[in-house]
Order: sequence, then C-alpha cells, then structure tokens
Amino acid sequence: MRKYNKLLQKASIKLSLMVLGIVAGSSVNQTSMAQIVNPYESNASAIRAGGVLFRARCATCHGADAKGIEAPDLTLLWALNVTNDALVFQTIREGVSGSIMPSTSAPDTEIWTIVAYLKSISTVAVSDNASGDSVRGQQLFESNCSSCHRVNGKGGSLGPDLSRIGAIRDRGMLTTSVRTPSASIGSSYRPVTLIDGSGQRIIGLKKSEDAFSIQVMDSSQRLRAFNKQDLQQLSEESISLMPEWGPEEISDRDLDDLLRYLGTLRGANSD
Amino acid sequence: MNLRRLVGVIVLTIGAFLTPNFLLAQTGVSYEDILQGLSDPTRWLTYSGDYSSQRHSPLTQITPDNVKRLVPTWTFQTGTTTRGRGFETSPLVDDGVLYVTGSNNYAWAIDAATGRSFWQYRRNLPNDLTYGSSAPVNRGFGMLGDRLFMVTLDAHLLSLDSKTGNVLWDIELADYRVGYAATLAPLVIDGKVIVGISGGDYATRGFIDAYNPETGERIWRFNTIPGPGEPGSETWPDDPDILARGGGGTWMNGSYDPELDLIYWGVGNPNPDYYGDDRPGDNLYSNSIVALDAQTGSLRWHYQFTPHDLNDWDSNQIPVLADIDWRGEPRKVVMLANRNGFFYVMDRATGELLLGKPFTATTWARELDENDRPIVLNDGSQGCVPDPWGSTNFMPPSFYQELGLFILTARETCSTYVPEEPQFTLGQPSFGGVVFTDRDNQYGALRALDVQTGDLVWEFRYPSPTFGGVLTTASGLVFAGDHEGNFMAFDAANGENLWHYQTGSRIWGAAAMTHELDGRQHVLIAAGTTLTAFALIED
Repeated sequence: MRKYNKLLQKASIKLSLMVLGIVAGSSVNQTSMAQIVNPYESNASAIRAGGVLFRARCATCHGADAKGIEAPDLTLLWALNVTNDALVFQTIREGVSGSIMPSTSAPDTEIWTIVAYLKSISTVAVSDNASGDSVRGQQLFESNCSSCHRVNGKGGSLGPDLSRIGAIRDRGMLTTSVRTPSASIGSSYRPVTLIDGSGQRIIGLKKSEDAFSIQVMDSSQRLRAFNKQDLQQLSEESISLMPEWGPEEISDRDLDDLLRYLGTLRGANSD
Repeated sequence: MNLRRLVGVIVLTIGAFLTPNFLLAQTGVSYEDILQGLSDPTRWLTYSGDYSSQRHSPLTQITPDNVKRLVPTWTFQTGTTTRGRGFETSPLVDDGVLYVTGSNNYAWAIDAATGRSFWQYRRNLPNDLTYGSSAPVNRGFGMLGDRLFMVTLDAHLLSLDSKTGNVLWDIELADYRVGYAATLAPLVIDGKVIVGISGGDYATRGFIDAYNPETGERIWRFNTIPGPGEPGSETWPDDPDILARGGGGTWMNGSYDPELDLIYWGVGNPNPDYYGDDRPGDNLYSNSIVALDAQTGSLRWHYQFTPHDLNDWDSNQIPVLADIDWRGEPRKVVMLANRNGFFYVMDRATGELLLGKPFTATTWARELDENDRPIVLNDGSQGCVPDPWGSTNFMPPSFYQELGLFILTARETCSTYVPEEPQFTLGQPSFGGVVFTDRDNQYGALRALDVQTGDLVWEFRYPSPTFGGVLTTASGLVFAGDHEGNFMAFDAANGENLWHYQTGSRIWGAAAMTHELDGRQHVLIAAGTTLTAFALIED
C-alpha cells in the first residue's frame, strides 16, 4: 500500500502540472498526460472498490452498466482513443462545465479506483489480424445492411451508426450482433409494437417514454409519438428489429468478410 | 424474459422488414419547403420561420379574445445552464418533431406533443474556449433533407442526422483559440448552408461563409474587413496588421430574398471596440448591413449604420424583408432596428436608404445628413449614450404587415465610455476601454413603430432593459418576454397586455415561435433551462 501511495503522490503532482499545461493551451501536454499512470491500473481489489463507488455516485446518470442513461456511455472512453487515464481523472475531479456532471472533492485514491474500474469495463478494439476480404465485406454491407445502418453519412438510421464500430466492438461482439441480434439490444433500440386507435399496427424502436406517452422511430424511420390512452395495444418486444443473419442468410465466409470490413470502420471521432 | 414481455412478443420475420416502406428512408425537408415559409403552419423550418425574418405567423386559433385561456402543455428541462446569458434558441419543427439547440452545444429532437426527447446530442467542447466561454449560447438549427446544421462554441459547423443526432460531418470555421466562436442558427438556402462567426471583441476578422450541405465543403467566403488594396480598405489605416484584426463579426442570422438571390447580413463592431485612435476612418464593413450575391458571396451593396464605431454597437440585428407600399409605390425593402438607436428602411434591391430615425432617446445622434450619415452629437465620452448592449440587439423583432408595424424590444440606457489603448493578446478580448453605466436610469420597452415614418405607435414598458424577442400572429397578437421572466401576449393594435406567464428566468435572446399540431396552435418560448409549450386549455 505504501508503494501505491508513493506512486499516487507522484502521479498527482504530475497531473497538477499537466492540468496547468492544458489550461495554457499546449497540445503537447495532452500527449504528456497520456503518460500518467493510474496507480491502481489492473489492481483487482481497487477495481472492485471503484465499481462500488461508481454504482453509488455515478450510476444514476451513467447507468449501472456505465453504458449511459442521461449521461454518456463510459464503456467507450478508451476505445475511441480520445482519452487517457489522466483526462478521465481530471473530468471526474472537475466535472463538465455547463452540464449536470458535477465536480468532486473526493480523495484522489477514490477517483483513481473509479478510473481503474471504468478502464476494466471499457470496450476493446477489434483485433487487427482479422481474416476476410474487406472490399467484399463492404459490398455485402451495402447490399444487406445499409438500409438501416449509416456509415460515414450514408445509409439508414433505424439501427446504430456504424461509422466507428471497429473501434468500439470486438469481433466476438460483432458476430453475436449479426447472428443473434436479440441477445443484447441497446437502450435506444428496444422494439415495440403499437396498434393505434384506427387499428393500424406500428412497429418501431422506443426512444423515450413517460406514464402517458411513448416516442418511437417507426420502421419507416420516422420519429413519432403516441398518447398511450389512444393506443389499442402497446407491446415491448424482446426480438430485435435487426433480422437474425444465420449461416443460411450469410455464410461463415461472408461473415468473415463483413467483420473485416466493420473492423476498418474507425471514423474520426467528431463529437 | 418476464411473462408480460413474453405475452407481448410477436415473432418478427425478416420478410416483415424488407417491405418497400421499411427500406424507404424519408428524405425530409426540401429547399422548396423552406421557400414556402409558414404557409404550412405545422412547420417552422428556419430560424425566423421564413426567409423574410418577419417572424409573423398566419395562425389565428389563439386570439386577443381567448389568449387568457393559454396554458402550458409541457416544459422541457435542458439540464444545462448558460452562465451570464440566456437560452437563446428558436426551435424548428417538422412532422411533429422539434429540433432544438441549447447552451454549451447541447441539442435535442423533442416530441412537440409531449415535450419528451427522442435523442440528445452534446458536443465535447475543449476546456480553453475563448469567446465561447463568455457566451456559451446557440440560437438554433438549420435543416435540409434529413440533415440538421449547427455551429459550435469552438467555431465549427456540424451536420447532424435529424433521426439520431449522430454527427455526419464536422468542419472548422476558424481557430477558436484566437477568439472565434459561433452561436447563430445556420441559414439554409438552395444547395448552401450560410453561417457567420463570433469574436469581434477579440483581434479577429469576420466573415460570412457558404458550405455544401452534403459534404461540408466551403463554396465561398466574404471577409467583412477588406484585405490590403481591396475596396473598403481606404476606410482603414494602410496597415495589414490592423486589417487582419479589424473585427466585424457576423454572429447573428441573416435573411434571404430568393428572387433577387441576395443574402442580407449584419456586421459587428470594429476591434478594438471602444478605442479608435489606431483605426482612423469609417472602418468598413463594420457596423454595416451587407447584401451578398448568394451564388458567389460577392458584395452587391452595403450601408454603414455607425461609421467608426466607438461604442461596440454591432449591427448584428435581424434584417427584416418585406414588400410594402412605400409612400404610394411598391418597394422591396429591408428594415433594421439598430443598436445605435435608429430604425432604418432601405430598398433591398439597390441599398437606397428610405428612412433613418431614432426609436430611443439616444443622444449619440438624432438625425442623418444629406449623405445618409449620422450627425454625431456625442460619441459616448460626454456621457449618456446607449450602453454597449445597445438600444436593441439580436433579439428578433417582428413585422406585422397588415398593421404596418415593426415591433421590437427597445432598451433605454445611459452609459459613458472611457477609451484606453488595449494590449493585443492571443485569445484575450481587446475592448480598448471601460464603460460606466447608470443603473438607476434605465428601462426596457416593447415598441411598435410605423414603418412609413418611424414614429412610435404604442409601447409597453418593462422594469429593466430587456433582451426578449418578438413574435406576431395574424390574429392580432404579439408575444414577447422580459428580463424579469414574464412571457406575455399583447394586442398588436394598441399594445394592451392581455396575458402573462412567469417562466422563472429572464427571457434573453429568444423569441417565441408557433406552430399547429393536430389542429391545435402551440406557442413555444425558451427561458433559463426550460423550453415551454403553450396552447389554449381544452374543455
């Protein structure tokens, strides 16, 4: 523990200097910040402690799984390659000006354990040694997937934008998403079936809901809202609107090509 | 899976999704739709409702007789505050969905019936913003097709997918670290997104840009401060350094005449704001209105309201276009109430000045000479001229054509200016002096001017100088808000107050918008951290 405290002290001093540097507006210091090492990096008990702190203090906004409710998905922080441990520490310490994310006076140790926890659950990047033909994969994507998924500004909006999917989902997760999409459905993509007052059936994705109304993107990709009292039926589905692409729809070889293509999508992070 | 969900499950086959309807993504709003303006009252597709910027709706469901039955239907909480300023946005609405930008570059798609959001966007802003940190505001989206356009406090222009809020492209307008930022609502015309830039209180140089909506590529740029040797440079010292930091921000929306294919845009103060000794001359095109060819960005005509400004009286007010009968003959005019305290009417094809008359008690000048220049009585160094926020500002006015009234928020203030040579530091403002304002001697007012004469027809006084904008509706109503937080309705004919609602926060920069949803007229106002919708109470 003494060793950790010493390291921690060192990191804190360094961090303070770096923060001053960033305020002065030098981009060189962004790089230097990346060199600050979390004293609890990969420390299992610290990660557990950080998880407890996270659930108590952060989960209300960021979700118990850190995938975001009102606030951003934190599992993508490192995968997007725009942050590092010190910047995450600094953001927790200072909060985000103009947002509901507050600053904190918690001890450095607690913040570092939260950073360690977040890093431990961070989504990893697709491995670069994937097999498959990305050109063919792109053709498969454009003929089968782009009516619902957007890449670099082209395609539909029903499913998630995949412009940087290669940076935030690994091969195993992508395989699951293609073969058995209902296994895990993101919070903005939960399917619902509605029957309105005139008996019309509407299939869509739930974007928001309160006690009296529901907001959806319907299957023609239109944003619509309904008063619940006007509906004859409102059913939440457990089957994703994304079709299951089994081996008969897409062979293992085709899937390999598709995944290779998806792995190349690491679009510039612009938000 | 719980039993309820299990019961609800309907097995959805691949085939069910591969119907043509499923594959057909909506194409959204076209240029022709924007051109139609408010003739379809279920829509509000550009900042002021249409290209004329009259902010006058044809809706008549809410009237002077029934407006007392106006009640809030929902309130949307943004969760983001605007330190020192206001929630300045004008929402757009299409197909029952509101598209709203907020402070600190938040944005939302909101169900217009319930106030619930479909998505939220928040830009990850750098922590060393310059002008953007002192005014972390945004005034709204532009839209075309299924794309939204939004400028940012770090001086970028973004295109967002209107269905999801995802960023489609992101380009830099200027380097924010110098002092630039962007806060206006982009003006979308046929094949172009027009934007301007903030930062004229810093050593910057303003511009108006046109971008390709599909790709974000720049089509043209008009520099508001000429380069050495260019027309207008003769109104500056012969010094490239002074020209390069001459100011002339373009931070508020312009208007567009599709027939003349001209864009009308206000230009801000020269820099330094209060110190003019190192910039002798008129300092074109600061404090001017410029009429630009929409295809090329070239200057067709200009008129300078405040030559050699020493009072930070940016001319970034909304230019209001109208086709009116002007003293017996039809004229296409552009009208503008200026921070310097004068109301102007110009022929918008030629730039000919038709009228220039004070609408406040300004002692800076009371009349124009035979060359249409102000006869300056007091440059501010002798006390009591309008404060740097001006006699009015960017809060949108409204033109009520049938009544011939230009209705605006006026500010009666009293300030003394003490200029001082500034130091120019990168990323720091260079105002060039200090201003002393008499806080016991000021008020605000909603004023209706006869556009033929500039004469005051009626006014409603507010307790303090106010930044709330104005909306009028064809039923004879004026909607406006004040610094004390009241959102109000007035009789357009005589200014009588008919209704008010306390929003809980000063109404700053925002003007109301209105639209029809399922046969019911709604009026929306942004204030503080809330956007509130109002409609007549249902029986």
